[in-house]
Amino acid sequence: MAPIPGSGLAKGLAVTLRTMTKKTVTAQYPDVQPELPPRTRGVIALFEENCTVCMLCARECPDWCIYIDSHKETVPPAAPGGRERSRNVLDRFAIDFSLCMYCGICIEVCPFDALFWTPEFEYAETDIHELTHERDKLREWMWTVPAPPALDPGAEEPKEIAAARKTADKLAAEQAAEAERAAQAAGAGEAGRPDAPAAPPSGPQEGQS
Amino acid sequence: MNDALDVALRLLVVFVVFLTFPLIVGQTEHKVMAHMQGRLGPMYAGGFHGWAQLVADGVKFAQKEDVVPAGADRRIFQLAPAVALLPYLLVLLAIPIGPGEGAVGEVVDAGIFFVLAVMGVGVLGSLMAGWASANKFSLLGGLRTAAQLLAYELPMLLAAASVAMAAGTVSLPGIVDAFRWWWLPWQIVGAIVFFVAGLAELQRPPFDMPVADSEIIFGAYTEYTGLRFALFLLAEYAGIVVLCGLTTVLFLGGWHGPWGADGLGWVWTLLKAAILAFVVIWLRVTYPRLREDQLQKLSWTLLVPLSLAQIALTGIVKVVIA
Amino acid sequence: MTFAAATAASMAARAATTVAAGQHGFLSPTGVEIAFLLVGLLTFGAAVVTVTTKQLVHAALWLVVALGGLAVEYLLLTAEFIAWVQVLIYVGSVVVLLLFGLMLTKAPIGRSPDADSGNRWAALTVAVASAGALVWVVVDAFRTTWVDLGGAPAGSTEVTGASLFQNWVLPFEALSVLLLAALVGAIVLSRKAKADTAAGGTKATAPRVPGSRDGEQDKEGVR
Repeated sequence: MAPIPGSGLAKGLAVTLRTMTKKTVTAQYPDVQPELPPRTRGVIALFEENCTVCMLCARECPDWCIYIDSHKETVPPAAPGGRERSRNVLDRFAIDFSLCMYCGICIEVCPFDALFWTPEFEYAETDIHELTHERDKLREWMWTVPAPPALDPGAEEPKEIAAARKTADKLAAEQAAEAERAAQAAGAGEAGRPDAPAAPPSGPQEGQS
Repeated sequence: MNDALDVALRLLVVFVVFLTFPLIVGQTEHKVMAHMQGRLGPMYAGGFHGWAQLVADGVKFAQKEDVVPAGADRRIFQLAPAVALLPYLLVLLAIPIGPGEGAVGEVVDAGIFFVLAVMGVGVLGSLMAGWASANKFSLLGGLRTAAQLLAYELPMLLAAASVAMAAGTVSLPGIVDAFRWWWLPWQIVGAIVFFVAGLAELQRPPFDMPVADSEIIFGAYTEYTGLRFALFLLAEYAGIVVLCGLTTVLFLGGWHGPWGADGLGWVWTLLKAAILAFVVIWLRVTYPRLREDQLQKLSWTLLVPLSLAQIALTGIVKVVIA
Repeated sequence: MTFAAATAASMAARAATTVAAGQHGFLSPTGVEIAFLLVGLLTFGAAVVTVTTKQLVHAALWLVVALGGLAVEYLLLTAEFIAWVQVLIYVGSVVVLLLFGLMLTKAPIGRSPDADSGNRWAALTVAVASAGALVWVVVDAFRTTWVDLGGAPAGSTEVTGASLFQNWVLPFEALSVLLLAALVGAIVLSRKAKADTAAGGTKATAPRVPGSRDGEQDKEGVR
């Protein structure tokens, strides 16, 4: 099957013509913001309320780009007669993004969920010193942290929710049992309120403290 | 005095066409090429889809320093862009866009010869540039230009001769006047040969070995900067306008349209020329550059025999219908 | 080659100017005649520079000026067809071929002290002699004949074509046979070169390209 001479040329012309009628793929970035995938690694945000100055992030950082200063404070005993506790107070938390290589180890390693990825990427500076983001700036980035993407429909429940639910269920069952007992004790036809195990505290923060 | 005014007006119109049409073609090339590659092309200059990009380019070129290499032949180096550009201005004078005296810059009796002769002169500009730059890449570019011109002027001439035979005249308006629709299938081979050879003479891709940037930087124009470089570019685009206009006039029936719209002949001419210009751009995007020997082979073993066959066919048909 | 062509150009220019001067006198010169004279002088000057300059490529470019000047002279004589053919063949092809050859071989920028041959006086003698002969023949042939340029076009394509194919058909055909012979000769020569190189690379085909084209081109132009 010898092809017709020139059919290859015609095919080439057809390809370019078809491409011309298709939508272009040019990213018009400054005019149109790009659609970034979830879990985009733009900049690292600090949720400083969660930070306990454990220094794990600074120690694990391969680039040594996290600077942490802190001092110890003594906290008066919570209950009278108790012991004084000492607590670390964060003085400085800075990440030098001119050194950072966006490996994300600090975020992985943080045991208290104080560091987060945010998809913001427009923080170029004309002076390299300004790439060292201090505590307040890192806290500001926190507002841009997106909600974690939803789980797959059939996925296992997140552990903290499962734990919370378990406690809640247990509590509800106890209450129900108690109510039943009370109803039986009352004997009269007063129907006990069949309160479902509504929603006792069930937050993701449940697991932490 | 009325005559002088008439001449001045015609010259002015041709000059304006000479300055604007190449820019329009250039801008179209920017956009069409971009979209054929899935891009957008210039979007900012001028606000609306970058329509003023080439104006901005022109301003940029005008601001650049005009460098003449130390070892170059100064005067010829500086003269070359003008030699490359002016012939196309002259050719534009002779291309009719509508019926009658009013729609052509100047009626030239031996129009085909005038046009082809003057277009051939334009190539001298590239040769001068290639030699005078004192640069080996430029010299190679000049050599390739010359070889290409020598190879492709013959089929171009032969194809034009065929249509002149068919019309029985060498005047451009005369040829269009004699045009009938069935000339299209009759002269189609000649038209293709003419167009391809014209592309090669303009050094447009896929026939751009003389300026092959991956091999010889920018051929004869390597050493040029600023306005002189812009003039060479303008010459290329003016060449596209001229080639498309000529092909329209010679082979596509100029101002004849399917519905014979009287008074709108020039629209037909411009429309056909615009479509051809689009094809020029389209070919550039689609095909890779030919190798130097492939180029010569294409001309000598394909285009020349085809054009000779076209001439024979024209002669036979002419004798039969006479 | 440059020298011969330039000499021919200069002779023609000189002949042309002389005729113009001799025909009508200087009593009532019209604009066309003045232009003719000026262009003739320019052509002559360019031709002289062509043969005297020591810069090879400049010589070729001055030849362009001389040949272009000749074309303008033809135009002024209303021989439009001949003028454009002159530009097409000589400026567009022969000079390009010349430049091509120069660039391929040796085209230094600046003067070449060895560009002068020892035959300067012989060449001058030949040039002057042939110019004299031409001028004498032309003047003697036309003497006081007056061609009215304002009347019916005598040099238009139609008239040229008619006289070429009616009165001069035989010489025309003889010329095309000659050119055909040149063409065949060029092909034969390049074939032989190819056989010599055995492998027959691009080197063998390269000389044939300009050569054969030259023949065809000339033939086409005459037609």
